[in-house]
Amino acid sequence: MDNDRLLIVEDVEVSYGNIQAVKGISFDVRKGEIVAILGANGAGKTTTLRAISGLHKIEKGSIRYKSFEITSVPAYKIVSIGISHAPEGRRIFGTLNVRENILLGAYTMQSIDDERLHWVYSLFPRLQERQNQLAGTLSGGEQQMLAIARALMSKPEMLLLDEPSLGLAPILVKTIFNVIKEINNAGVSVLLVEQNARLALQLADRAYVLEVGKIAISGSTKDLLSSTKVQEAYLGKKSNR
Amino acid sequence: MKKRTVTYALLILSVLFPLFSNSSWITIGTTFVIYSIVSLSQDIVLGRAGMFDMGHAIYFGMGAYTTAILNSTYGVPVLLTIPFAVVIPVIFAVLLAAPIVHLKGDYLLVATLGFNIVFEQALKNNLFGITGGPNGIFGVGVPSIFGIEFSSQASIYYFSLFFLFLTLMIMNNLEASKTGRALHFINEDSLASETIGINTRFYKIFAFAISAALSGLAGVAFAVQYSTVSPEAFNFIQSVLFFTIVIVGGQSSIPGVLIGTFLMFVVPEIFREFATARYFVFGIAMILTMILRPKGIWPVKFGRIPKYIRH
Ligand SMILES: Nc1ncnc2c1ncn2[C@@H]1O[C@H](COP(=O)(O)OP(=O)(O)OP(=O)(O)O)[C@@H](O)[C@H]1O
Ligand SMILES: [Mg+2]
Repeated sequence: MDNDRLLIVEDVEVSYGNIQAVKGISFDVRKGEIVAILGANGAGKTTTLRAISGLHKIEKGSIRYKSFEITSVPAYKIVSIGISHAPEGRRIFGTLNVRENILLGAYTMQSIDDERLHWVYSLFPRLQERQNQLAGTLSGGEQQMLAIARALMSKPEMLLLDEPSLGLAPILVKTIFNVIKEINNAGVSVLLVEQNARLALQLADRAYVLEVGKIAISGSTKDLLSSTKVQEAYLGKKSNR
Repeated sequence: MKKRTVTYALLILSVLFPLFSNSSWITIGTTFVIYSIVSLSQDIVLGRAGMFDMGHAIYFGMGAYTTAILNSTYGVPVLLTIPFAVVIPVIFAVLLAAPIVHLKGDYLLVATLGFNIVFEQALKNNLFGITGGPNGIFGVGVPSIFGIEFSSQASIYYFSLFFLFLTLMIMNNLEASKTGRALHFINEDSLASETIGINTRFYKIFAFAISAALSGLAGVAFAVQYSTVSPEAFNFIQSVLFFTIVIVGGQSSIPGVLIGTFLMFVVPEIFREFATARYFVFGIAMILTMILRPKGIWPVKFGRIPKYIRH
């Protein structure tokens, strides 16, 4: 079954100076899946994504994508091999307008694929309406849409999303999650980092729960949703025994 | 376009300037031209790429010392020293920048400042016995072609102006090029740039390299103009000046940087009796600008810049 495993993370350890943030984690993402990484603040979720996309060097372990060993591939090359990372905190280019930001997602492409652009706009009609607006003046939710839209322009097979729901109104979170589902239906595998465990578990196929740099719980989201441990710790439910 | 007309008028004015000026004004003009090149090159690193380089006088000084040493000590004609005065600063810029470009703002600033202090000490202590110690090197000649010497002040002015035009051309190309765009994106958000596939490390080092090349050229002109080089002309105080000129004038803004240089190097000459108070005047200008116009005297209009984004 190894060839439908798109991303394989094995025994990865990451440190900032002498603080170890990720302490030997292993997981995988199969073709066509949405996999969620859940966990509290500081659990190491962002660090894990940064390790995959080459933004932070790993100390130990290996990361493989398809048949490539990408453990030490620099971040700027990752996007060309099919992994696109929408980093934590949106990180859009505020001095450029919406359209220019989106086009920049295709920085490594020979040319801009109009079909792709139409698809991205159809996912986020709001961005099309505002294509000439300066990105820095967009609302938080619109900026989040823009970050995802930009990440799609390089035609990734694998999308890394870091807390797309951060700071958004519940209704907008639903909208964004629906779009993520739609992106996934179009064949893009998704690795989703989230604190909003309830929604993430509804959306994803499988999930891993990180606790201080280690995977504490993992499994299919169906199992996790019914696990009392997860319910108590992450869904705020008291077990009624 | 109106802006274009003004630009050409200024260029023509700069060429005709020596025809209606006396020699002391041409000297001031030459100083302005030389320091403009350094400030513009500082802007590539600081304004465009957004790296807090507080050691830019190093590359200016390396260019000047290279020409001075080769010409005055070894008798190499000034024009033949130019390639060395460009290449040596570039090599050092790459070597110095490579280990530090990943540093964030203030850390980079302190590191580059440190380099500048080391550089000044090396010059003062007569490194390899070729820098002439605290007094520097005297007796740099003037450029000559086919036995014709550029010895008049006006010809040195034109010699320097040629380098300034070259600098302006390069900066103009940079603005419309892939590199210029990449620098702008990196400046705005280095991490986001990396995730869309920009090799930020390469472009940051490249910015240092091209900027060192231009500063090296300015150094050649400096050595010719003053026919002497000494450590004080390239100490970290000078770097602080170039740094503030860019901030006060306007980052990424060619007119802004030129105005900043004008304020620092020409205005004090106009008010001759206050010339010793130049730091005082510029200090006040720095404070007022930052309070009243925090983006610089002539800020660049972002949002209009990215017209060239369409590949
Ligand atoms: N640049 C850094 N330098 C030092 N420590 C860091 C750095 N970035 C993260 N850390 C530490 O590493 C640990 C994991 O951080 P990380 O950002 O991966 O957490 P996270 O799970 O994404 O949290 P959040 O949900 O708050 O975004 C934290 O203890 C954090 O303080
Ligand atoms: Mg995080």
